[in-house]
Amino acid sequence: MLRYSLRRVFGSVPLLLLICAFVFALLQAAPGGPLSSSEGGGGAAEEAMSRMRQQWGLDQPAYLQFLHWLSQLLHGEWGTSFNSGQPVLQLILERLPATLQLASASLLLSILIVIPLGTAAALRKRSWIDYAITGVSISGISMPIFWLALMLLYLFSFRLGWLPSAGLGDIRASAEGWDAVAERARYLLLPVACFTLVTVASLVRFMRGSMLDTLDQDYIRTARSKGLPRRAVVGKHALRNALIPVVTMFALELPRLFLGSVVIETIFALPGVGRLFIDSVQVRDYPVLMGILVIASALVVLSNLVADLLYGWLDPRIALGKV
Amino acid sequence: MLLHLTRRGALALGAAATLALTTVPAFAQPAPKKGGTAVIALIQEPGSLNRFLTTQTGAILGKMVVEGLFEADEKGNYYPVLAAQIPTQANGGISADSLTVRYTLKPGIQWSDGQPLTSADYVFTFEAYANPGSAPAGDAITPAWKQIESVTAIDPLNFSVKMKQPNPGYLELFNVVLPRHKFDGPVVTNQHAQSRMPLGTGPFVVKEWRTGDAIVFARNPHYRDSGRPYLDQVVAKVIPNREVALQGLLRGEVDTLFFPVTGDLPTLLKAQKEGNPIQVAMQSSKSWVEWLWFNNADNGDAKRPHPVLGDPAVREAIDRGIDRRQIIDQVFGGLGQLTGSLLYSGWAAVDIPATPYDPAKAAQVLEAAGWKKGADGIRSRNGVRASLRFQTVSGDRTRELYQQLIQQNLKDVGIEVKIQNVPSNVLFGAYKDGGLLKRGNFDIAMSRDGYVIDPVVWAGKFTSDQIVTAEHVEGLNVMFYSNAEYDRLVGQAGSIVDPAERRKLYAQAAQRFAADRPALPLYSSAWGWAWSNRLGGVKTDHWLGIWPLAADWYVAR
Repeated sequence: MLRYSLRRVFGSVPLLLLICAFVFALLQAAPGGPLSSSEGGGGAAEEAMSRMRQQWGLDQPAYLQFLHWLSQLLHGEWGTSFNSGQPVLQLILERLPATLQLASASLLLSILIVIPLGTAAALRKRSWIDYAITGVSISGISMPIFWLALMLLYLFSFRLGWLPSAGLGDIRASAEGWDAVAERARYLLLPVACFTLVTVASLVRFMRGSMLDTLDQDYIRTARSKGLPRRAVVGKHALRNALIPVVTMFALELPRLFLGSVVIETIFALPGVGRLFIDSVQVRDYPVLMGILVIASALVVLSNLVADLLYGWLDPRIALGKV
Repeated sequence: MLLHLTRRGALALGAAATLALTTVPAFAQPAPKKGGTAVIALIQEPGSLNRFLTTQTGAILGKMVVEGLFEADEKGNYYPVLAAQIPTQANGGISADSLTVRYTLKPGIQWSDGQPLTSADYVFTFEAYANPGSAPAGDAITPAWKQIESVTAIDPLNFSVKMKQPNPGYLELFNVVLPRHKFDGPVVTNQHAQSRMPLGTGPFVVKEWRTGDAIVFARNPHYRDSGRPYLDQVVAKVIPNREVALQGLLRGEVDTLFFPVTGDLPTLLKAQKEGNPIQVAMQSSKSWVEWLWFNNADNGDAKRPHPVLGDPAVREAIDRGIDRRQIIDQVFGGLGQLTGSLLYSGWAAVDIPATPYDPAKAAQVLEAAGWKKGADGIRSRNGVRASLRFQTVSGDRTRELYQQLIQQNLKDVGIEVKIQNVPSNVLFGAYKDGGLLKRGNFDIAMSRDGYVIDPVVWAGKFTSDQIVTAEHVEGLNVMFYSNAEYDRLVGQAGSIVDPAERRKLYAQAAQRFAADRPALPLYSSAWGWAWSNRLGGVKTDHWLGIWPLAADWYVAR
């Protein structure tokens, strides 16, 4: 199990590099650069621009820029942002709390909702509960997240005035202690609800399907014919096995939560990593972009590893290499 | 919703705008209360607030912190801020040969850390500018800086600047100043702590910057006016979604918006009319103008005139054939202004009215010049069809709307226009990258420009020494316009410092330009500000808007 995991992690390093090189090449190929201005441009700017180009190493060929960046990275140097002059790592770390709060709250809520709801739908196949859950799920998948976010905002914030519309807290007055926690929760309620709804919508059908498959298995029939109570059959035998594919899905949600919250973060004005990414794309802030991409790629690898470990726990046959 | 406004609705909005403009200054002056926080919704977060290194948003918000020797009012007239007076030849501030300018600081001004502001800081600022290791690129660093030969301190309050040649932009200099005591040496790049959160002499200091969330400005304890600022704090809260920011303003979650764009103004004016607790003030002077750039040469060859646009009659017909009022009424809900002047903004503005819409006259001009209508309604002369490409940055839906209006207008007078919009880097790209403008590979291009305080750079763009060639790729005259009289007038106006004399020369140059029509002004965008009734003391009479005068803001209720 350990050897298997280690092999996977080290095997991912070249993959990570490849992704980085590919992304770097894409960025270079995109029109414009960090110094391109959209319109106009005076006479003085040209001179300043060539100075900056030199300072940032943009006058070098692209592959040299990439190799330079790579060697710096291996020395623990993540570089500084073109846009703000701040160290890249610090910029990302500053943005991490908002993203993590949003992501972990949504993920936790999603898990708590998806498992019972999906199970219930499977146990009462073709009942009104099943149809209701499937209906909500399909409309959730079909709804663009930005639309959902704006509608929630419109209803709860602009129309009813129950919840604040933007940011992480009241700017005019700062709260302390438990009040601050309560305030933060109030500000995060809408974005978390939005994110959770979308995640639940896409995963609940998966949970239902997986549970249905499991319930058809021979060992479930055996357990039933042994006369085990229904609760034990579903809770002990079926659930654990039905969770295996669902766990993969949840693990793969992790990187999506890291970057996929761009829309939510933008609409609700949350200072998260997703927005840092988009802002950096807009000004072609290569060092920041590369920093975020390295972390995101690492996260993909890591979450796959997490999925593997969870497999081993849920199904010992996988850890022993018997499947 | 903008597009569904009827002409009547537009008139109503226009009236509301006028009303807003007239009622705002009429507010009675209660004694402003001290304390409180104002919240600015910031739609795009800048990377830095230091005008030495940054432009646009950061540079403008930075004005609450770092002041210039001089600032310009809404009309572009300079007034002294950190300087004691405006140097002129009459008061001895400018030498007889116009080459040396002496600047005098107001006495007793301190940096927000309590250190005195002295001429040594200005000497240092120039050293930093001139150091090859520095990267000055801010709004404050105008081409006028290039004319500086040396800066010398005379005493703590006086310093003299020697110019390489008479520098008409001497009031633009030192729009920013760096605190010498905060730097180890004159190399200033965007990685210095001062670059992001600069120290200044203004009413506020940058207290905290939580990226992606908020920039907190706090009262400067050492501000020269002990009564102001009234507010304890101004917080710029980053709200990237414009719709959310607008709603936040209407609901009182934020106090003002950085900044409303033209498309927001009808919404804001309507909201004000419906009783939302906000004030909307329209800028009375003209702001950015949308220009039609004509290619006066044949495919980048300055010696050969453009086969169609090279004929002054065609340019005149286009000028008369476009219904500019229709663009403002149908696309912008009646908001915006018209001008016919190259120099429509700033202290040297020349008032030339826009050419009236007269398609009959346009057709007549073309007819007289020998452009005859063909079977398809498009004119031609000697086998050359009056067919032109019309290009701007692609993806701008609003522009596409009035491009179509113009296309129809010109079709009516017998000129065919083909809309072929391209990405910005294709249109504005460098010569080596084959940029369409730089290579003269276009017929009519459209972009915004010309909103300037001083015309020296702007008017200088159209002189013949700025024509782009393979040897002179950094040239700015992409219209390939060449006129000896215009060259002489603008050249002269750019080499003397006397404002009255310069104004006269620029007025003549603008007349020449309007007669030659190497480019056409279409309309000037409406510009305005909106703030919550919670905020009092908001003034619009600074060139950069309401922000630099935040010292006067107070919590009204």
